[in-house]
Amino acid sequence: MIDYSLLAPGAVLALWTLVMLLWLAGTRFPAMAKSGMDVKTAQPGGRGQDLEQVLPASVNWKSHNYTHLLDQPTLFYAVIIFLTLAGGVTQTTLGLAWAYTGLRVVHSVYQATINQVMVRFSIFVLSTICLLALNVMAVIATLG
Amino acid sequence: MAGHDILGPVAALAAWSMVMWVWMYATRIPAMQKQKIDAKGLVGTTGRTLDDALPAEVQWKAHNYNHLMEQPTVFYAVALALAIGGQGDGLNTQLAWAYVALRVVHSLVQATINRVMLRFAIFAVASLALVALCINAFMAFVIV
Repeated sequence: MIDYSLLAPGAVLALWTLVMLLWLAGTRFPAMAKSGMDVKTAQPGGRGQDLEQVLPASVNWKSHNYTHLLDQPTLFYAVIIFLTLAGGVTQTTLGLAWAYTGLRVVHSVYQATINQVMVRFSIFVLSTICLLALNVMAVIATLG
Repeated sequence: MAGHDILGPVAALAAWSMVMWVWMYATRIPAMQKQKIDAKGLVGTTGRTLDDALPAEVQWKAHNYNHLMEQPTVFYAVALALAIGGQGDGLNTQLAWAYVALRVVHSLVQATINRVMLRFAIFAVASLALVALCINAFMAFVIV
């Protein structure tokens, strides 16, 4: 019988990613309307990153974080799936995985609001240490 | 196998990403030749550098290929988690097929006409299918 409990922090982080997508949309569209942009007459091919110099920075921060959540967490999903399939679900890996998800949610809220680089960087480093430990345990669990 | 049907749409979207990869190079390489860009002399440039050098429609294929490496990574994670948990059938599989079909249409629109509002509408509906899958994974692994 497979222990699924390590998939829970993954499910939470996936859902959180889409919450950030809603936050992105909920701030971007009013900001675009305010700046007098009309998407209906926009040039074909425009992308989110074209708004970088156009919208206020704090509006784009939500988008930066949504994109960020599609970078490193993809490794996290792979690692927790490896651990689940290789029988690597322990109190330690569960604690680390929940810590990773918790820190990434804090990182998101921080990047989307205050966004001081050093604080954001510190949260990111802490979460990366959790991921690194999980990744080492996944290597041990799958090779062992 | 029970609960594993969702791996069908997972495989389909992965394969579609490779189709976009081929389409990207099949248009990019001739466009570079036409512009007399000699790749042998390039150091440190990335695909993004070509945004200023090649016609927009050529780069649209690359934009979409990159797009497929973003949100679908959450889809793969959630779909694999559901399959491992034996919940990858029925409604979850239908939602996954809807997500994949919408992402294929999204690719075709972005690579050809690329009207922003149309592209956004398809992306938004696809995202809703993914939100539903994420909520189902949340219920399966977090609420239990």
